[in-house]
Amino acid sequence: MITRPTYLLPLHELYTGLLLFCLTLFSTCTHGNPSGTDEVITPHVRVSLISEQHSIEPGQLFWVALHFGIIEGWHTYWKNAGDSGNPPRIEWQLPPGFSASDIHWPYPQRLPVGPLMNYGYSNEAWLLVRITAADNIKAAQINLNASAAWLVCKEECIPEEGEFSLSLPVAGPGESQPSNRHAQFQLMQQHLPQPSPWSDRIHVGENEIDLRIHIAEHDAGRIEDVYFFPARYGIAEHAAPQIASVDGQTLSINIRRGDLKAQPLQSLRGVLVFSEQLADATITRAFEINSTAALSQNVWLMLAFALLGGLLLNIMPCVFPILSLKALSIVQTAAHSAATARRNGYLFTLGILLCFAIIAGTLLVLRSGGEAIGWGFQLQSPVFVLTLAWLIFAMGLLFSGVWSFGESWMGIGHSMTTQRSYLGAFMTGVLAVIVATPCTAPFMGTALGYALTQPTGIALMIFLCLGLGMALPWLLISLWPGLSTYLPRPGVWMERVKQVLAFPLYATVAWLLWVLAQQVDQQGLLYALLSLVLIALGLWFWQNTRLAGRVWQTCALVTLLLLIGLMSTLLWKLEPADAITAGAQDNWQPYDADTLARLRADNKAVLVNFTAAWCITCLVNEKVVLSSDEIKTELRDKSIVYMKGDWTNRDPAITRVLEQYGRSGVPLYLYYPADPQREVAVLPNILTKGIVLQALN
Amino acid sequence: MMTSHMQSGQPVRWLLLLTFISAFSCAAQAGVSVTQPAPDFTGIDSNGSTHSLSQYRGKTVVLEWTNHDCPYVRKHYQSGNMQKLQKEAISDGIVWLSIISSAPGKQGHVSGVEANALTSQRNASPSAVVLDEKGDIGRLYGAKTTPHMYIIDPKGTLVYMGGIDNIPSSNQADIGRATNYVSAALQSLKEGKVITDNVTRPYGCSVKYD
Repeated sequence: MITRPTYLLPLHELYTGLLLFCLTLFSTCTHGNPSGTDEVITPHVRVSLISEQHSIEPGQLFWVALHFGIIEGWHTYWKNAGDSGNPPRIEWQLPPGFSASDIHWPYPQRLPVGPLMNYGYSNEAWLLVRITAADNIKAAQINLNASAAWLVCKEECIPEEGEFSLSLPVAGPGESQPSNRHAQFQLMQQHLPQPSPWSDRIHVGENEIDLRIHIAEHDAGRIEDVYFFPARYGIAEHAAPQIASVDGQTLSINIRRGDLKAQPLQSLRGVLVFSEQLADATITRAFEINSTAALSQNVWLMLAFALLGGLLLNIMPCVFPILSLKALSIVQTAAHSAATARRNGYLFTLGILLCFAIIAGTLLVLRSGGEAIGWGFQLQSPVFVLTLAWLIFAMGLLFSGVWSFGESWMGIGHSMTTQRSYLGAFMTGVLAVIVATPCTAPFMGTALGYALTQPTGIALMIFLCLGLGMALPWLLISLWPGLSTYLPRPGVWMERVKQVLAFPLYATVAWLLWVLAQQVDQQGLLYALLSLVLIALGLWFWQNTRLAGRVWQTCALVTLLLLIGLMSTLLWKLEPADAITAGAQDNWQPYDADTLARLRADNKAVLVNFTAAWCITCLVNEKVVLSSDEIKTELRDKSIVYMKGDWTNRDPAITRVLEQYGRSGVPLYLYYPADPQREVAVLPNILTKGIVLQALN
Repeated sequence: MMTSHMQSGQPVRWLLLLTFISAFSCAAQAGVSVTQPAPDFTGIDSNGSTHSLSQYRGKTVVLEWTNHDCPYVRKHYQSGNMQKLQKEAISDGIVWLSIISSAPGKQGHVSGVEANALTSQRNASPSAVVLDEKGDIGRLYGAKTTPHMYIIDPKGTLVYMGGIDNIPSSNQADIGRATNYVSAALQSLKEGKVITDNVTRPYGCSVKYD
């Protein structure tokens, strides 16, 4: 090889060198003319930026297109390229005041590649873009500049790019001229998917989507070659066949779900393409589909569960005393006036529903704020627990006759035609909801856990169904005077029953204090107990000065207010105590995520019990089943580690685990088998020894 | 490729169609899912040794489908991005298998010798380069593109599948500003956290099956 200084190389050798250099770059990116023309030619495509208008006027909307002429056997891609490949991209640099729309994609073809499937265009591709001209254009000529990058493939793929520039003269208003391509643009409009004229729905399964389109019967017989192109990756298995069929007026397309099938799907977007047989020709039609999911079977089941759960709430010890009294008051009212009884029934239901709606709204707002929440979380706050204890204690004293609240807002034994009974009926509903909190009935837990994972609308409906279930029995009684004839006639026995029913309320207070004892230290508990004494004293005092002179009454009122003030400051002094720690003789250890992971990595079996001090179901399960000798022996013999997760106070780590299993509250029982191949078992909320023994084997 | 035809509502034809479809779909569907056990496979590497997924139980395994001529694979190798990932993974005790499912005569297909040459030339450090020229392993995992990444945890569960990062271009300049899903997933695994992006769009050239 002769080496000569470069400056002595003759020109033709220089050109040969350059050509060789370009050829060696064959398999890498090929660039178009960097200075921007309206056409770029590469070995595989001829791309041009064309306009339907020869000249434009200010404010005009007109189409331009990036037109691809693709050599035989090669192809470019649609906005969803399918299993591989990449769609082309255009970046615009426009004169001031001009804007360009996103690419409007003509419907694509299916391009199979072995076992894979791509969506794209062969021979030709038109990428249509709508340009909006500025309202004021100063220049006589404007330039539309675009840089585009695309992938062109046969078996192998070549990424290419180009710079484009289109120069258009500006005409006066009404004087713009179409270009000689205008007719072609009109034709290409027909290849753009049209909005669908039919109604449609999707039914989403675990592995499949059923797209159902309501078509006119006479169209059905002439539709062939149906295919749905999903708008983005992961929704459908691109290579899987789609089964289309007609049943009466419904066109059903069965689509296999893609990689993202584990994620919930609310809507299906894409392009539906089929051929239609006309008298003299067959034409291809394309429609934009944006179909939303029908309410799945699951949701109706959940709503039914919610209703049932609400009904069950009525028999929980925390709720029963209040509501049974409500029934009695309704009975009394009905004896006077059926209409009033009905009205009270509606108001009571409204109170409950509104309360549930507010709770739902708050939880949903918190959910969108990302807080770790769950039903019953109010009871993790000692302040809430104590306030609730005060309320219920005061009500117990009311029932015992220590004080009376004017007409007794429960409406017992007095005329029901006054204004106050409106509020009374409403407030009974509200209180019923507040008091229901600790009792996560088994059905309710699952329904709520499900609700909080659903979109807002469905979550709200589930909460409202819960409320309806709770109000239902009493609403029914108020609506059907006939039913009330089966209820006993009012009499002195009602007063007795009222007094007796004070005691379940006191029991509830005792239980709340027990919950509080787990949450605060001993001093806090003393304050709480003393505060109850003060309430009793205050109320008695107030009641006994009702008929005394003005001075005494004022005195009583002031005392009462002072007490309220004092007790409020008490709330600030409450400090949460430490969480439950295991004693040496206990057979359980506190729940810890890292320890659990380590135990599982060591192939140890673990039984995890998520519980809370205020959860009655949990306590019953523990007392009757989990602490029984049989279960203890079984755990010991099989070397199963027993962990307890305490959710009495706010514990976001446990809340996350609960959410993972679709729950919003405790209890939750998980059994991790020693064999890592086996799945974790979720035990039911109500345990029996048999259930636990079976799960442990 | 089966084209879909219209069926009017006749029970017998429906039944036949359904039977045919279910049989066909069972055959057509391979593919894997995250949170499920990753299917076991056996392959021969560029040195003639056998590798199977089950022998690596107890270690994290990364599967990287590759084709050295694909512009998207070149993007990550010429920039050193893939090699960096491999080195970090290997130093953490992770097993990295580069798998080539190109059929003979198709782009990316190499012999054992060529594969080893490419590895040393590019300074790559996979644990092994598995030659899957029949495409069995690729089809088993539903590998669609090169690169296409899968991560399997020590218990044998598939925990990640999809693209290497979130910018599907062939431009090296995009690597720095992209979120690398693979390193994020491996980091989460190391820290015992849940992998947030566990299924992402794989991008690249199609795997050159036969």
